[in-house]
This record gives sequence, C-alpha cells and structure tokens, in this order.
Amino acid sequence: MHDYQYDHQTVKGFIVSSIFWGVVGIVVGLWISIQMWKPELNIPPYFTFGRMRVVHTNGLAIGLGIGAIFGISYYIVMRLARRPLLFPKLARFHLYLFNAAVALAALSLFAGMNQTLEYAELEWPLDIGVVILWVMFAVNVFGTIIKRKEEQMYISLWYIIATVIAVAILYIVNNLAVPAGMTKSYPVFAGVNSANVQWWYGHNAVGFIFTTPILAMFYYFLPKSTGLPIYSHRLSIVAFWSLVFAYLWTGAHHLVYTPLPDWIQTLAIVFTLFLIAPSWGSVVNGYYTVGSDWSKMQTNYLTKFFIMGITFYGLQTVQGPTQAIRVVSQLIHYTDWVPGHVHMGTMGWVTMTTAASIYHIIPKIYNTEIYSIKVANTHFWLVLIGQLMFSITMWITGIQQGALWKATNADGSLKYTFMEGLAKNYPFWQLRTVAGVIFTVGMLFFIYNIYMTIRKGRALAASQA
Amino acid sequence: MAEDFDNVNIEDLEAKDTARKIPLGWLILFWGLILWGIYYLAMYSPVISGWTQEKAYEESVTK
Amino acid sequence: MAGELYRKPIMFAIVATVVILVGTIVTMFYPMFTEGMHPKLDNLKPYTALQLAGKDIYMREGCNNCHTQTVRPLKTEVMRYGEYSKAGEFAYDRPFLWGSKRTGPDLARIGGKYPDAWHYQHFENPQAFFAQSNMPKYGWLKDRKLDPAVSESHMKVNGFPYTAEDIGGLAAKSELDALVAYMQVIGTAVAKKVAPAAAAAAEERNPLEGDERAHERGEVVYKQYCDACHGDDGKGGIGPSLTDTTWLNKEGDIGDGRIYEIIANGTPNGMPPYANQLDKDKIWSLVSYIRHEQHKNK
Ligand code: HEM
Ligand code: HEM
Repeated sequence: MHDYQYDHQTVKGFIVSSIFWGVVGIVVGLWISIQMWKPELNIPPYFTFGRMRVVHTNGLAIGLGIGAIFGISYYIVMRLARRPLLFPKLARFHLYLFNAAVALAALSLFAGMNQTLEYAELEWPLDIGVVILWVMFAVNVFGTIIKRKEEQMYISLWYIIATVIAVAILYIVNNLAVPAGMTKSYPVFAGVNSANVQWWYGHNAVGFIFTTPILAMFYYFLPKSTGLPIYSHRLSIVAFWSLVFAYLWTGAHHLVYTPLPDWIQTLAIVFTLFLIAPSWGSVVNGYYTVGSDWSKMQTNYLTKFFIMGITFYGLQTVQGPTQAIRVVSQLIHYTDWVPGHVHMGTMGWVTMTTAASIYHIIPKIYNTEIYSIKVANTHFWLVLIGQLMFSITMWITGIQQGALWKATNADGSLKYTFMEGLAKNYPFWQLRTVAGVIFTVGMLFFIYNIYMTIRKGRALAASQA
Repeated sequence: MAEDFDNVNIEDLEAKDTARKIPLGWLILFWGLILWGIYYLAMYSPVISGWTQEKAYEESVTK
Repeated sequence: MAGELYRKPIMFAIVATVVILVGTIVTMFYPMFTEGMHPKLDNLKPYTALQLAGKDIYMREGCNNCHTQTVRPLKTEVMRYGEYSKAGEFAYDRPFLWGSKRTGPDLARIGGKYPDAWHYQHFENPQAFFAQSNMPKYGWLKDRKLDPAVSESHMKVNGFPYTAEDIGGLAAKSELDALVAYMQVIGTAVAKKVAPAAAAAAEERNPLEGDERAHERGEVVYKQYCDACHGDDGKGGIGPSLTDTTWLNKEGDIGDGRIYEIIANGTPNGMPPYANQLDKDKIWSLVSYIRHEQHKNK
C-alpha cells in the first residue's frame, strides 16, 4: 500500500466522521427548532433548549465543520504539495482523537458544562484537547507544505495557512480562564472587556472556520471539477490579504449599542463594511471562472453546487455588513433575523461547498465515479429549498419582531407586550421546522450517495485485487 | 494503481499572474468602501465628531 | 518580488501572522489597557455566595441562549426594560452575559422587578403566567441542593468576600433559591427611574366613570397582565388582594388616582410598572375593573 493511500484512508475517516457528527447536530437542530414552538419537548435536565442549542452549534461547527476541514485540508495539502502527509501516523491519531474529543464535547454540553462564551462553550479540559488537536493539524500541514515537491503555493494553501494561524491565536486567547474544579472555570477577562475579547473571537471563528478553509476548498475544487482555471490570480492575491487583514477588526459589530466604548464599535463597523470588497473578490473570481464557459453548469453536476455556494457567500457577505450598520442593527439585532443570516451561511455556503468537495474526493480516492448524479441533483435541490425557506421565514419574522418591539401608540406608550411579539413568531418557527426537515432529507440523499459510492469503490478494489 | 499526485498543474488552476486585470467594478467597490469608511469613522468617532450613543439617546428622548 | 512570498511557506506564515495581529492589537489587545474597559459603578457589589451559585446555574442551563442582559440606549428599549446598561455594571461578571438573542425578554433590569414568589412560581410553570410562553419549566431545580464546598471554591476563584456562615447557610438552599437570588440582584447597581409620564395622574378622578363597559374592558386587560399575581377576580395571590380596603399594607381605601399611579409606576415591593406597556385608557379601565370587583365583594 502506498503512503498516500494510507493518508487517503485518514481523509476518508475525517469525512465520514464529520458526516456522522453532522447528522447528530442536525437532529439536535430539528429538536430545538420544535422546542421553540412546543416547550413540552424540553426534557430536563439534559434536553432543555438552553443546553441543546450549544450541542447544535458546537456539534456542527466542530463536528461537521472542523472535521470536514481537517480531512479536506489534508487532501488539498497533499495534492498541492504533491506528496503524502509528512506524518501519516500522526494524522491517523489526529482522527481518533478528534472523534473522542467531539464525543466528550457533546456529552459535556448536555451535562451543562458551559463557559457561556458563544462558540467557545467547552470547559477548560476540553479546550486543552482542542488545542492539542489543532497543534497536530498544524504540524502536519506546515510539515507537508515545507517538504513539498511543487515550488509554488497555490491560493488554497494560503487560506489553509491563515486558518491554522488565526484559529490558534483566537482560541487560546478567548479561552484563558482560571479553573475552579474539573468542570468549571472563570475567564480571566471580566465585564465589558470580556465581551470585547469574546466577539473578537466569535466573529473570527466565523471568519476562519466558516470562511477561509471553505474558500480554500472553493479555490481548489472549482477549477479541479470544471477544468477551468481561476480567472484572476491578481484578484486572488488582493482579496486574500485584505480579507485576513480586515477580519480581525470587526468583532465589535456584534456589540453595537452595548456599553462597549463607541470608538471600538465604530471602527468595527467601518472594517465590517470594507469586508464586502475582499469577500466579493472571491465571488467575482468564481463567477468569471465559470463565466468563461457557462455550459459547465449543465454538463458538470458539481459546478452548480460551487456557484450556488459562492452566491450564498456573496449574499451573506453583503447581508452581514449591512447588519452591522447602526440603524439596521437597531432593528434586527437580537431577533430571529440573525439565525436566518446564520443558516444561509452555514447551510447555503459551508455545507453546500463542503458536500461538493466530498463528492469530488470520495470517487477520486476509490478511483471510480459518483454513484448517482441524479441523487446528487435531488440532494442539491432539497437543501437549496430547505435553506431558502429557513432563511426567508426567519428574515420575515425577525423584521416583524424588531418592528413590534419598537412600535408605540399615539400617546407614546409601547404598543405591544413582549408576549404579543413572541406569539407572532410561532407560525414562522413552525415553517422553519418544515424547512429543516426538507434540508435534512436532502442531506440524507447526500449521505446515501456517498455511502453507495464507497461501496462501489470497495467492490471495484476487491475485484481488481 | 495509477492514482497519484500527478494531474494537478497549478498553472492550470490559476491563470497567469499578469494575464488578467482586476475587474474595474471590483476596484471601484474596494476604494469606494475605503472612502465610505473614512467618512463613517469621522461621523461616529467621539474624538472626531463628538457623537456618542448616550448623547444620541438623550436627544431621542427630549425631542 | 512579491511572487517569492508564495514559494516560502515560513515567510508567508510570518507575514500572515503580522497581518492578523494588527487588527487584533488595535481593537482587542490595546483597549485592555484603557480605563474604558474596566469601569465599576460605586455601588456595584460582588456577588454573594448564593447569588454566584445562581449565576453559575444560569450559565449551566444556558439561559443566555434566549435572554440578553443589556439594554440598548434606544428610546423604546428603555421604555420596555428600564435604564440602559452602563459599562460599570458588569465588573464582576466573568464572563459577561449579555447574550445575542432575545427569544425571551431582556433581563438586565429584572432585579427587584417582581417579588421572589413570582419567580418561584414562574420557574415552576411559565405558561401559568403567559399562556403563550415557550420557556421551559425549571421547577426541577428546587429538588437539587447546593454544595457549599463547591460554592466556596467558586467564591475564591472570583475573589469575592464571604463568611463561614454564608457558605454554611448554602447547605439548606436549593438551586432554585440560588437562581432566584441571582435574578433579584441583576442590574440593581443602577437606580430605577420613575416614568415621569404617569406621575401627574395622582390627583385625577377616573375619566371612565359612568362608562358601563369600562370594567369589562378592564377585565380583559386584567386577565392578560395581572391575574397571575393578584389572582382570579382580584382575590390575591403573590400580590395582595385588590378587593379589600387594605392598600400597600395600610387599612383604608385610597383614591382612583392613587391606584392609577401604582399601576403605572409600580411599587418598591415588587409590583412592576406598567406605564410603558399600557396606555392611559387601559390603566383607567383596570381601575374601573378593580372598583367593580370591590363592590361585588361588599
Ligand atoms: C435541519 C437543519 C437545521 C435546523 C432545523 C437548525 C435549527 C436551529 C435553531 C432552531 C437554532 C436556534 C435559533 C435561535 O436561538 O433562535 C439554530 C442556531 C444555529 N445553527 Fe442551526 N439548524 C440547522 C442546521 C444547521 C447547520 C447545518 C449549521 C452549521 C453548519 C447550523 C449552525 C447553527 C448556528 C451557528 C446557530 C447559532 C446562531 C446564532 O447564534 O445566531 N445549523 N439552528
Ligand atoms: C463579510 C462577511 C460577514 C459579515 C460582515 C457578517 C456580519 C455579521 C453580523 C454583524 C452579525 C451580528 C448580527 C446581530 O446579532 O445583530 C453576524 C452574525 C453571525 N454571522 Fe455573519 N457576517 C458575515 C458572513 C458570515 C458568514 C460567511 C457566516 C458563515 C456561516 C456567518 C455566520 C454568522 C453567525 C454564526 C452569526 C451569529 C453569531 C451569534 O450571534 O451567535 N456570517 N454576522
């Protein structure tokens, strides 16, 4: 067995694991979406909304997101370095440790061990585990790149390197805490300062987990699967550097109108708006790449995944900055508009692009073709419909909520109680659950397709052996 | 089996460095956002314009 | 020249790190050393052992996923929740608990808004207070005892002062007691403001007097806002009976204007103010309703 085939087994292991955790996270997502309109579904102590929501976000961000990022980054790094991973055994151990950590993370969150820092909920022993996982990843990525056989580093590698560095800094700083027993700690930062550190972290967790590694996939797999070269190298360069520069300034847009000093808020808003440019650098590059031959949208089933993914990325990166402006924030902050925004990004951009990358990788590993393009197309349309329905219902109800909170009578008193506003959400929350079911069915088609492709590949390998 | 790292040609993935100019529309967006940023920073920085969210609130209630 | 960078991974990583650190330093690291980031109101007190235990439970149960704890300086928001949040209120919060989603209402000014009994019953069954609420029930917390040893170690890590009695006393307390104690202290470092709009009504007589239907309209409002505390038909519950002639613990009837004022502005003993939620006509209709029930009782 060649070294790289051993590495491919690790890549596949990460992909299958991330799909598994994705299913767990999505099932929890469906559950909490029902809890929001049917509180009887809260079963204390472990299965209440407050505990399960963090299982949902962590399960998908770490389990699905980071799991897929580990596996797919290894694949990309090997390909672009033209050599197997430098430390294949370490990568395999990385896979096992990853699964153990995610399992423990889920259990600890169900048990209520929660730092209450968004996307950094895990308590300190698990934080140490996450840092170890990240160091293992970094060692292999850097090692393999340094010992590469191709002189030039392609764009995807830039994004992967930036991801490795940024996440390390972000995660360690935001989780600095003083332990108070094995399952509890208090952060070293307090009050306003802790808010500022947390959202510096929080927004860049989105930036360097849900954006840069996904862009690495996009820049690699779009040309690979269509055969069309990326439109402008120069645009890629400008977009990359301005993106990684600007992202770190923007965290305080989550804290608009809080007691955080005004100047930090304003600076964050300015850089947030600026982010439209680098983000759209990738969008424009993507469009122009396929623009040289639009027939690929029909002849190559993966093209539409990537184009739809980058389209949602483009919408997301216009919507996000708009949300940061003070007048808009007044209306939509704290409402259901934000989960609408979030799921366009996570479902429409992250999951779409990741799934397409997996469609590309799995047949390559087994030296075969995808099991069924028809099933892939069904998957595409279902997740697209589910995601649009999810986001649109949440945008409507979010704006409505924001407006009801602000509405006043002629004599200046408030027009609606909080409860009257809440009650108006129910039909939209119910529709959101329906949307989630449609999305989930789409994902099941995806899983079935991958499963059948692996089976086909195994049978093929057995027949050739 | 023949599966290898061979078929990636980086030159194929990225068009030649100088081959394509950056689209004009994108450059306008880029510089436009920087200009807008300078304007917004001036408008809403307490040390520059004197604006603070507390003052804005006081104004909204006395009006 | 610049092309070289994309052939040198270590150089590239160093440049990327520097680029990442610029915004980090300006917006996150540097501010840590400015005063604006560490303010403390003079009358802000460290949490007591019981309150801290309650805050830990708030974090454990993830209440912050549905409730924010920061009132923005926006007109209608201050009307709804109370004085907007001040930077100096959070010095003892490690970490801050401002939250980012209001599935439920903001809690920054919940302290002292309702009596303890309200919270106990509300945690037990939120739907009894607001039929359409989607809040989970938390009555099960009352069957779980606090562990004084754990609380003591938490107090130590936070550096909050405590006495042996404080800690010893926890053994008899439940998690629900702690959570209620925490609720009652949130946001209390900032003085409550009386809504100026309502104060003028004190001397007035009920303008709805003579309106035969007023008490029926009042009853509708009463069922929505008041009966959770004051009981069916004003018979009393968490809050006192409204059908007798004892008002604010004193025997003797009071004028319509005074009743109006209590509803509008609330009282220091846990009656919340309604001036910002109910317009004048609704408050007066409540006065009519209360008078109507009083008469029935005579
Ligand atoms: C069937 C699919 C899904 C359903 C039904 C679902 C449902 C939900 C619900 C109900 C919430 C809480 C919203 C609130 O508190 O108001 C939520 C939050 C969240 N979900 Fe999902 N979700 C799904 C898929 C996903 C996926 C695929 C991802 C990521 C890859 C994801 C990431 C998140 C994140 C990051 C949040 C937190 C949002 C915030 O803090 O504003 N979800 N989801
Ligand atoms: C230039 C790009 C983007 C900007 C400037 C941006 C901006 C924002 C802003 C201002 C908020 C806060 C909304 C509020 O609470 O008022 C927000 C929330 C969020 N965004 Fe974005 N967004 C961008 C792209 C994305 C992408 C690509 C994703 C990927 C999935 C994403 C995921 C999220 C999440 C998860 C939250 C919720 C955080 C929370 O409150 O828990 N965003 N974004």
